[in-house]
Parts: sequence; C-alpha cells; structure tokens
Amino acid sequence: MSRFFIALSLLLTPTIHAFAGAPLDFGLDLRGNPIHDLGGPGIHFVVLIFAATDCPISNRYVPEIARLNKEFSSQGVRFWWVFPNSSDNAEVVAQHNKDFAIHENSLLDISQATTHRANATITPEAAIFTADMREVYHGRIDDRYLDIGRERPQASRHDLELAISAALAGKPVPQPGGPSIGCSIVFLQK
Amino acid sequence: MKTLRVFAALPVLLLLAFSCSPCGAAAQSESPAQAALTWSHDIAPVLYKNCATCHHPGGAGPFSLMAYEDARRWAPQILKATQSRFMPPWLPEPGYGDFADVRRLSDPDIALIKRWVTTGMPQGDPKAAPSQSNYDATWQLGKPDLVLKVHQPFTLPGGGTDVFRNLILPYPLTQTHYIRAMEIRPGAPQVVHHANVIIDRTASLRHQHPTDWEGGVAGMELVVDAGNHFDPDRHFLFWKPDTPALVEPEGMPWRLDPGNDLVLNIHLKPSGKPETIDAQVGLYFTPDPPSKQPILLALERDDQLDIPAGDSSFVVEDSLTLPTDVEVLGAYPHAHYLGHDMQGWAVLPNGETKWLVWIKNWDIDRQSVYRYKEPLLLPKGTVLRMKYTYDNSAANPHNPHNPPVRVRAGNRSEDEMGHLWLQVLPVNTPPNVSDPRLLIEEAWMRRRLEKTPTDQVSLYNLAAALAGQGKFTEAAAVYQQELKLNPGDARTLTAMGAALDGAGLWQQAQDRYRAAIQAAPTGRAGGCDARFDLANLELRHDDFKAAETEFRAQLAACPEDAEARSGLGEALQGAGRADDAEREFRRALELDPGDFTALLNLGSIASDAGQPEPAIKFLEAASSARPTAPEAHEKLAAAYAQQGRLNDALAQLRIAAGLAPTDAKLHSSLSQVLDALGQSEEAFAEQKQALQLDPNDADGWNNLGALLARGRQTDAARAAFEHALKIQPDHAQARANLARLSTPK
Repeated sequence: MSRFFIALSLLLTPTIHAFAGAPLDFGLDLRGNPIHDLGGPGIHFVVLIFAATDCPISNRYVPEIARLNKEFSSQGVRFWWVFPNSSDNAEVVAQHNKDFAIHENSLLDISQATTHRANATITPEAAIFTADMREVYHGRIDDRYLDIGRERPQASRHDLELAISAALAGKPVPQPGGPSIGCSIVFLQK
Repeated sequence: MKTLRVFAALPVLLLLAFSCSPCGAAAQSESPAQAALTWSHDIAPVLYKNCATCHHPGGAGPFSLMAYEDARRWAPQILKATQSRFMPPWLPEPGYGDFADVRRLSDPDIALIKRWVTTGMPQGDPKAAPSQSNYDATWQLGKPDLVLKVHQPFTLPGGGTDVFRNLILPYPLTQTHYIRAMEIRPGAPQVVHHANVIIDRTASLRHQHPTDWEGGVAGMELVVDAGNHFDPDRHFLFWKPDTPALVEPEGMPWRLDPGNDLVLNIHLKPSGKPETIDAQVGLYFTPDPPSKQPILLALERDDQLDIPAGDSSFVVEDSLTLPTDVEVLGAYPHAHYLGHDMQGWAVLPNGETKWLVWIKNWDIDRQSVYRYKEPLLLPKGTVLRMKYTYDNSAANPHNPHNPPVRVRAGNRSEDEMGHLWLQVLPVNTPPNVSDPRLLIEEAWMRRRLEKTPTDQVSLYNLAAALAGQGKFTEAAAVYQQELKLNPGDARTLTAMGAALDGAGLWQQAQDRYRAAIQAAPTGRAGGCDARFDLANLELRHDDFKAAETEFRAQLAACPEDAEARSGLGEALQGAGRADDAEREFRRALELDPGDFTALLNLGSIASDAGQPEPAIKFLEAASSARPTAPEAHEKLAAAYAQQGRLNDALAQLRIAAGLAPTDAKLHSSLSQVLDALGQSEEAFAEQKQALQLDPNDADGWNNLGALLARGRQTDAARAAFEHALKIQPDHAQARANLARLSTPK
C-alpha cells in the first residue's frame, strides 16, 4: 500500500505540490499559534517528521532525528515534528517533548492538510520540502524496520540522511528503499 | 472509512471476507455468517485473553488494548501483527512439542480479527463486552517474603542498539531459604524484553567487578562460578513481560544460601527516551525443601560456530545420550541474531522420535522458555539431538553486520551461540544410584569433552561428578588431566586433594592441599578451601593440634567463614578443650545461624550435660539445616528420650535408619526405644537386624539376650549372653545377666 502512495506522490509532485507563494496555514504550534511558514530566512529545505506520541516506533526515532537535526541544522535545514492525530493535542505533545527531550519544532496538524500535502500515512514518516514547498522526498527515515516485528539491530541504509545530503548538494534526491513501517495515522472522518 | 490505506484495500478485503465466511471464525459464530462482528461480542474476548496481559495501561505492551477506542486506534497494527503472527509472540511450530501456556493465536481468532477490521470495526453493545482483568501495580502474589532491589538504578539510553545488562542483587539473609515463587518488577516494563535470573552461588560476578558492580555489568551471556561442590539445583528462572510471577511446580522450590547473588540478565530495547531500570525482585519462601530435584543440561555446538560471511544456511548439530530415565519439563532454545531454524528432538531406544521443539523463524526478541504441558518421559539410552541453522547473509534482517562478516561463538550479541537447554527430572532411579543427576552431569561433561577435549570447565565438572558418585580414583585422574592444562590451579589441587582423600590416599591428599595453599593467590579467600579441607582431614585423623593451626590460619584469611569456626570448635573439642570449643561453636552460629556442625555439637554438649531442652532446640535446627544427616536425627532422638518423649525419639530414629539403613547402632537404639514402648516383637526384630549388620557387637548380643530372657526363651537368651562374652569376655552386664538366668527364681 505504501508503495502505491509513494508512486502516486512522485507522479504528482511537480504539479500538485507546488505551493510557492500561496498563503497557507500549516498547523498550530504548541501555544496555539498558526504556522504560516515552515522555513524562514536562510532555510533551503524543510524536513517534516510525522509522529504520534503513542507510537512506539515513532518514539524510537527521537534520538535519530536529534542526530540528523544536529548534523543539518547549520546547513539551512529546518526539522519539524508533525503530529497529525487529533489525540495529540498541545498538552500531550508538550509533555511528550519534555519526556523525550525533543528540541526540534513541533507542529499540530489539526486539519491534517500538511499530512495530506506530504502524502504521509504512517508514523514515523519523513518528508523533505524545498523552501518553496515542493516535496522532494517522502518515506521512511531508514531501514531499521522492515515490517511490524521485523527489525534490524541497527539501520543499514539511512534513507532520509542520504536524501537531505543529496538535496543540499543539488543532486537528484534518492527515494526511499522500502516502505515506511510504524503506526497508521488516524485520519479525520470527512 | 478511517484511513486511506483501508479505503484503498477495501474491495479486495471484502472479497476475502466474503469468500471466507463459511469457514474459520464465522463458522463458529452463533449468528449467521453474514452477521456483523462487534468488538463487544467478538473481539474484546480475543484481545483480553491473548493481548491484554501486556497491552494494558502501565503494562509491558507499548499501548493498551483494553478499550474499544484502543482496538479501533490500533486496528491496522493488530491486523498486521496477527496476520504475520508477530503477535502474540510465540515461536514454536505447533505439533513439535506439546507446551503449556501456548500463546499462538488460533486461525479462527486471526480470521475473526481480520473480518472485524475490514467490516468497519463496529463496537456493538458495550454492556455485552466481557469484564476486564484487574491489572494493578501491586505484587501479583501478594506481599513477598523478601524484596531485593538493585543498589543503583541503571539508565538505558534513549537510542542505539539493544542493551544486555546484568544487574546484581545480593541475597542479604544469613539463612538458607527455599523459593517457591519469584516476581520481577523491572521498573520500566516497556523496555525490558526478557530477563534470565541466574543464581551466582559464589557471588563471582560481583567479585569480578568489585568497584562498579552496583551499576550492573554489560554482556549478553554470563558464566558464573558455581563453587566447588556439585550443586545441580538448576531451574529456568526466565521472565518475560506477560508472566511477571514465576511459580515453581509443587515440590520444586529453588534454594538461596547466604552469600548467593541473584543476577538479573536483562535484554533492554531503547524506547527513544532514557529509561530508569529500577528493578525489584520479590521472593516467596516455602519452609519445605524440594522433594524433586531437576537438573539443567544443554545440547550445544559453540565449538563449530564459525559461520562464513554470506552463508545463509550454516548448520550445526549435537547429541547426548541419556544415562538414566528422565522427564523433560522444559526447553530453552537459544541463539543470537543469526539463528534461523532450530530443531530439537529425542530418539528413543525403540527408534521412536519425539519432538522437543521446532522454531522455523527464530527471533531473539521473542525468545522464551517453553514448559511442556505434561512431562515428557524419555528412557535411559534416548539420544537427544539438536540441529540449528544460521543465516549470515545480508538477507537476514537481524544480521548485526552489514555487510556480513565471519561470525564465531562468543558472549557479545554480535557473536553467535547455539544452545538447547533442557530441564529434566530424573525418574525411575535404580536403588544403587544415590543421585541420578550425577550420572547426567557425567554424561553431559563426557560429551562436551568429546567435542572440546581440553575444556577445563568440563574436566573439572566431570571430576566433581565422579567424586560425587564415590568414584574417587577416576575423579583424581581427571583432575590430574586438568592440572596438566592448568598447572598450579589452587582450586583443582584442592579438589584433587579431596578426591585422593576419598580414595583413601590421605597423605597424597595432604600434599595436594598444601600445594593448593601455596598456589592460592593471596588476598580475599586465597587458599581458604584448601586450608579447610586440610584441617578437616587432620581433624578426621585426630591430629587436633594441626587441625587447630589450619583452621586458625583459615580464619585469619576468611574471618567470616562459619564452617571454619565450627571446624575449629571440633578441633578444640577433640583436644579436650570443651569450653573453648563451645565458644567457637557459638561464634559460628553468630556468623551463620544454620551452621550444621555448630548446631550438632552444641546439641550434643547440652545433651551430655543432661540439658535436653536446649539440646532439642539445637538438634531440631541441625536436622532441619541438613535433613539428610542421620547423626542429627540420632542425637535428637537421644535428647527426646532424655525428656521421656519416646514416640518422638522413635520417629527420629526411624528417619535416621532410613537415611543410614546399614548403621547397626541405629537399629540397636530403635530396639531399645521400642522395648521401652512395650513393642517387644519389633524391638527383637530391630536388634536382630543390628546384629546381622554388626555381628561383633557384644552390647547388641547382651541386649538381644535380655529381650529373649524377658520372652522366657531361656536357652536362646543364654546363648546370646554367652556369645556376648565370647566377643568381650569382660562384658560385666552379660556376665551378670547370664548369672541371673542360671539362678532359679
């Protein structure tokens, strides 16, 4: 299934995901303020990590995201934790960030618009956007999890790291080598 | 539809559900096949029975599955994990070993979950849901008799690979206790995958890490020093999240002695944030010592584990022939990350094959001990076999190396292992075998030596098993073999001394003990064992002066050794220094209130001084400290008799005679007590038996004569008295009895 969506997003990326200049809300910060800009001055790429506070696999990636943030934040890359599930309200996420010592920015995607824009369906899942909000990568963080219950002792391919490096170097961005594994995002009923 | 994924898949899944409806779960349902499944009626019972033991608030599962909203929230994961049989965790193939507490979900239940998820996950009537089990944070078996806590909590980092840690919990009591149950509360259940509890009899791990043991010791596998004596009291103390309380089978408690440590060997999975492992172990005592004594043995092939990089099908095999009938109680297959297919089976002497276990897709994260529903009887001559296959290719996702590298056996998680541990209970033991576990240990060690002839642990254990069976000469030869590999090893020299002593070569034994004392490292406990054995040997040869010197030297090195203290008491008593002796016995009891020698001697002293009350107190303690020691029961009988408690005395003498059936003295004592109780016929029979065992006992013939005379069997009585006088012409009582017999009344 995930593969289907990956294919879809690649296909549609050039047309659907070009939002440059559009006045959009991406969600709320933990104080309830709308976020209009995920990037900012000097930011070349925005990395979104879709997460759920109650998803164990998502939580296990907290140290890895901290590592990547440390590696790339000085190179014009801005990381966001994006919480799409309605149960993850400001209070829950604030406590979670405290428990897990999360220092990256957090976004409550209350309308799930950002989640749909990135085509995320799973937590954890990553998306890389250019400063003009073109999605250049969507998928797994690394290959540690092959399936629910099939896990490597450590990752052997760091897909997200490779993608960010390539994007920063202006090279073609390598796409994920396998599906995202984790917990399904609970989508709002329409 | 809630999620895009389900929406997209819906047509396919509906079709499946439809075509499946006449079979599986739907066929079992009370309602027609097309009736909607609901959480309340259909799903909650399955989740409560199979998942909620871990998946409850505060439980080991990463999320709760107690409420309808939980099931709905996690439905995609439940579906996936049950379809792949990742959950509930259960590795053995059905049909290859009949285990208790099987957690494998049935096919109808799996189908039921699938149908519910794909038909919109309706809740149904909440009132129809079964009641929830109560998972509270208290001890499951009530307040433990003793709670052990780690001295210093261990902090698991938030990220990185899995962590294997050994937390050391010293047993703080000064008395032996038997443990009928244990509950482990790891502190952070969601990150503790499993734990093995190892009894470190000699606190060896703590002594190897004198300065930093309190924070625990890293490592996946552990070798602890079992001490100098054959002590096969071995149990699977394996903990996993859904079974926090380990209750031992009836009659099989395990033992903790003063000075023992429990080592909690835990597998931890980082959660993303630092976690505090503040483990507690609750112990539940029983006053009853074990009536059944199982032993653990292992098939293993570590010597052949040398797996080429990229090899996806590397096989090792092992076998072991059982030297005695056993019942197999449980199995613990174990490998690290490359293990793939693991088979264990038994070939009986009649050619029949019985499967022990088969795991087709090994996963270290889901390892477990498996206990058989019914003990599996395997007769003597059965060949136990194992065949393990390893996958060291890049296609094995568990492979810790990328790209794969050559892997050999070792203790680190990136090394490999191939073990099939079995817990067996010897049964149908022939009367001439005192402890059948020694036969098993001997066979096991001989097999290990076939594989690795220079393995010192195997040589040492084989020699100890031989010595335990009284095969002292053979044992000494094996120790000699080990000394060739490890010359000057103090422990082996000491053990060899004991074997030579057992073989009657006590001067040679003395030499070995002295060599051991020389060879022992100075400092903590250096040479203590050798000194103790040497002192004991001297004590037995009535060289009290030398024994006193050795015991005192030993106490200088090991002042806390109660046995040395009571040994010194015996040496002093032998030398006629009764007051000094008594003082040492009392000091021994201060160090260890259960010290057998001190209790026995203090009991004897009190009994000899005509103080049956304290004597009984000491001797009752002595006989419970070592229930298999006939002398404790014998002396206790004498003390009871002093108080006129003849029936109690009789009971103790019967126990003693049961333990030492060839001890003539005991039968003689039994005869006297029975006579005093007016049971003349039994008294006569016991005295006859005593004389069969020791025909040269003049007292015995005299007593027999007295019993016969009282039964008016004058001629036989006369013959008995005359026999007594033939053995011992100056036996005054026999002479007087004979004279009385001749005097007409």
